[in-house]
Amino acid sequence: MNSIVFGLLAVLSLYAFFKLAKVKASSKQLNRSNRINRFGDQKSDNIIEGESEEIIEDDEDK
Amino acid sequence: MSKHAAINRFGRSANPAFTKNFTSSFDSIPISERMTLDGAVNKTGILLGLCFAGAFVGWNIPVLAIPSAIIGFILALVTIFRSPSKAGSTAPLYALVQGIFLGGITLMFESQFDGIAIQAIGLTFGILASLLVCYKSGLILPTENFRLMLGAAIGGIMILYLINFVMSFFGSTLSFLTSNSPMSIGISFGIVAIASFSLVLDFDFIEEGAEKGMPKYMEWYGAFSLMVTLIWLYLEIIRLLAKMRSR
Repeated sequence: MNSIVFGLLAVLSLYAFFKLAKVKASSKQLNRSNRINRFGDQKSDNIIEGESEEIIEDDEDK
Repeated sequence: MSKHAAINRFGRSANPAFTKNFTSSFDSIPISERMTLDGAVNKTGILLGLCFAGAFVGWNIPVLAIPSAIIGFILALVTIFRSPSKAGSTAPLYALVQGIFLGGITLMFESQFDGIAIQAIGLTFGILASLLVCYKSGLILPTENFRLMLGAAIGGIMILYLINFVMSFFGSTLSFLTSNSPMSIGISFGIVAIASFSLVLDFDFIEEGAEKGMPKYMEWYGAFSLMVTLIWLYLEIIRLLAKMRSR
């Protein structure tokens, strides 16, 4: 009985782990200011969008 | 006018190629070469499979346990300090040899306490799944302070283990670590708790790595770090159960 209970616990836990681990964490976990920052700020969504304007060197030197 | 007219006009660019630390940026990595949650979980599955295969060998040939433990320890040091980028080759080897070690150790405990192995396996995976639920749901929020406290606690435990290991050469041990006294059981509970909370840091490492698009080899490294913690947790749980059952 003991082996069946703990064996079932192991199998169900492993199943839950492989199902749940592939799901992204909740926004409560991800969107907070005190997260550990191991890899520096690598977010790619901080690019400033806008129109560019060509700078002509001659105009700059005037 | 300044030669930095573009900066004056548009402000400092967020383009990583123009920042000082651009060498640490991974934005240039193609999406297919980036770390994903799926990849890290699948690799954890591969490592667990190898560990079980190794355990089968170790259970049947227990004499391999000690050499495997030494090789596993060296492989872990190499993976952590020398070549995290080579984790794809060292982590499977590590899982296999540690499995052999665990198989031998488990047989030793099982011969003294019938049914202890399945209890330890069930509790280890039970803790793994429940802490994953706590992490994913945001019930446990790992912060820099959490990491520092856990690091200090793990450092303290490692020093105790080292002292105990050195003392064992002189025929003595730290009784509060090895005996089955209430204090020793309490300390074992504490160590199991610290090993369990280390899993949260591993989950966070994998989540952050996937979120920030780290290179693909970090999937192996994340899976490896999870395996190191799981093996430690399993060993602590089986020791704790043995202490409790020997009373």
